[in-house]
Amino acid sequence: MNGMFFALVGASIATALAGFGSAKGVGGAAQASMGVLSEDSSKFGKMLVLTLLPGTQGLYGFIVGFLILVNCGVLGGAAPTMGQGLAFLGAALAIGIGGMVSGFAQGKAAVSGIAMSAKDDKNFSKAMVSVTLVEIYALLSFIVSLLVVISVPALNI
Amino acid sequence: MKRVRIISLRDDRKALLEHLQDSALIQIKRGDKSEKGFSKVNMTSQTQVFERNVSLTEQALKILDDNVKEKKGLLSSFAGRREVDPDEIGEIAKNASDVMSVCRRIVDLNKICTDNASEAIRIKTSLAQLEAWQGLDIPINTSDTKSTAVFIGTLPEEYDEKKLSERLAEENPKLEFEFEIQHTEHNMTCLVLFAPISQKTMAEDALRAIGFARPMAQTTHTPKVKAERLNKRLAELSVESEKAIEEIKSFAEKREEIKVTQDYFRIRADKYNVINELDHTRHVFVINGYIPEEDCDKLTALCDRVAACYIEFEDAGDDAPVKLKNNRFAKPAQSILTMYAAPSHADIDPTPLLAFFFYFFFGMMFSDAGYGLLMVIAIGIVLKVFKPDEKMRNNLKLFQYCGVSTLFWGLVFGSIFGDAPATLYNHFSGSSITMKELLPWPTIDPQKDALMLMIISIAFGLVHILVGMGCKFYICLKEKDYKAAFFDTGFWMLMLTGFAVLAVGMATTQLVFYIGVGIALFSAVGLVLTQGRNKKGFGKVIGGLASLYDVTSYISDLLSYSRLLALGLTTGVMAQVFNMLATMFGTSIFGSVILVIIMLIGHAINIGLNALGSYVHTMRLQYVEMFSKFYEGGGKEFEPFSLNSKYIKIQEEKIK
Repeated sequence: MNGMFFALVGASIATALAGFGSAKGVGGAAQASMGVLSEDSSKFGKMLVLTLLPGTQGLYGFIVGFLILVNCGVLGGAAPTMGQGLAFLGAALAIGIGGMVSGFAQGKAAVSGIAMSAKDDKNFSKAMVSVTLVEIYALLSFIVSLLVVISVPALNI
Repeated sequence: MKRVRIISLRDDRKALLEHLQDSALIQIKRGDKSEKGFSKVNMTSQTQVFERNVSLTEQALKILDDNVKEKKGLLSSFAGRREVDPDEIGEIAKNASDVMSVCRRIVDLNKICTDNASEAIRIKTSLAQLEAWQGLDIPINTSDTKSTAVFIGTLPEEYDEKKLSERLAEENPKLEFEFEIQHTEHNMTCLVLFAPISQKTMAEDALRAIGFARPMAQTTHTPKVKAERLNKRLAELSVESEKAIEEIKSFAEKREEIKVTQDYFRIRADKYNVINELDHTRHVFVINGYIPEEDCDKLTALCDRVAACYIEFEDAGDDAPVKLKNNRFAKPAQSILTMYAAPSHADIDPTPLLAFFFYFFFGMMFSDAGYGLLMVIAIGIVLKVFKPDEKMRNNLKLFQYCGVSTLFWGLVFGSIFGDAPATLYNHFSGSSITMKELLPWPTIDPQKDALMLMIISIAFGLVHILVGMGCKFYICLKEKDYKAAFFDTGFWMLMLTGFAVLAVGMATTQLVFYIGVGIALFSAVGLVLTQGRNKKGFGKVIGGLASLYDVTSYISDLLSYSRLLALGLTTGVMAQVFNMLATMFGTSIFGSVILVIIMLIGHAINIGLNALGSYVHTMRLQYVEMFSKFYEGGGKEFEPFSLNSKYIKIQEEKIK
């Protein structure tokens, strides 16, 4: 058991949990948008935008996972000490949990947004903005994870 | 915007309206009530005829498309409407009745095909029913003879001869009968039964008891002959349908003419709809409308040329529509503004600011020189080749400008298709060079300098928000609401500036830090003293203090700009991942082929995902963070009476 183990667990957690949140969010939104498209396929572009909005969490998680791999000796960098490995794991939890939960929440918001812009195209920009409001929390988690991950290699722990 | 009123003779109505429609100068004001002494004319029946024609041509085009695929390029949806000469319109009008009869023929032919198809289904069902009776050499509806009762039909169970005679004997032992089983299958027996005519009722009862039913297909011919006839009819139907389809296909070359005619009728329907709205007397009619100020002279000139008329202009009220006027740089961003809301009369037109920040932030989020260059070139080609309509052209231009900014930020971040140049160089030469070393200019690596970039992002955010508040300040000054300008907006702007100076001071010298603290404190005191000004007594103090709580909303607004870093990083890292994957298969020929494939697919995915993300998030920054500071919206857009066509437009320079 050494730091590497925890770093790799961290990379997995960041990618998987955030991806889980996004998958659920995008999945729900996609179902709703397909319902709309079956009535009016010309709305595809707008529906696509709303459907993909909860997808960013997964990307953030993946980026944190990737940066951990780059910094922990798998894809470059030096092998981490025990303390550094735990630090990577801790950093991953932020985007993992934050991304997952905000993915769920954003998915729900996106479903409502789809219903709203299905009724009237003019509602689209309002729906889009409201759905992106959720994203700030994923973003904050991501920034914290990111700042920790890139500073870990310099930490003497 | 001006209100315009044109009074003209009814004889000139056609010419005047046509020219107004072609030139798209004015928006017609629609009113329900006529002014005193005027009345409306009813053109509904004419409009209905035109609209029916439009839908007929739409049907015909759809049928043509179902039968003969129209050859379309992948990018043809960018293509603009075809330009036609004004003289051509006359030609189109002359041909319209011919084209309409073609359309009618196409729709009729299609009806024949669908009718035939449904008849064929009916025939096939009958054939399936007759299948069981193929061995029968008398017609199914054979009636009784003088001495014998005949029963032809089915039983809902499977019987063989022995079982059936036993079963019938059980029902009525006295019954004499003779039968022949034609066909059996699971749950069904087809039989022909003869009984003496004297026992007809007995036989009927016995048969009914075991569930006898006469078949559906009643014919006077033997089943075999009937089946042959049906098959023949089926063949006839398919030949007929084929012929009809052939004929439909032969009309494929008329497609263009049909499209043009459709537009012709659409334009006429619009025109007659407008006539419905106008006030008439016996000899004159009145057009009420709105016109942008700069077009007044053009309108006067046009009206004088085509008709005898009297025009008057007056200042438009607050409910007049708004026409946005912007230069080439800002115009593409108008669609972003109107997607939110058209400006009301209290607003200023924020499009130029919006345009600048939109391009700037989009570039910072998408931030890849390779992608930016691709956008600029690809859109340039599409604009040149397809000559799209104005709306599409503006949308494309929007992304072209965004592309320029993306290119710029890509160079700043040292990202050209991610780290493709460095990765490829290392892959084939075996060295390990980074983009930073490869590029001759200083770059910021978002992965290494994330903290610095975040600070830069928030600093840009601060500028963005201050500009938004500056607009509010300006609007308040314009309306001479000095209290709102200085107290509600000015102090907050000062406070934010104070924080910025303070932050700079923390990084540099104590003196600057104290100056920042001073400014922030001064504005805080100012806010406490002024924000409760509309309240009474003790509320003045509470209101002032409570307003300081708004600082949290400014902080969350500012933090929101960290997405500039996050999305910029996402593009870069994703590209880097694809580059890394691509170089995993060695330097052999096989490996190189895979490298090219992965790079193409990977970067295409990355462009799709991140361009969308950048677009959405840039928009959000404008709408939520900036517009909330000053923009009210709620105005109506200027929608001129124009050629609302799908396929053709009149050549502009030819409009006389």
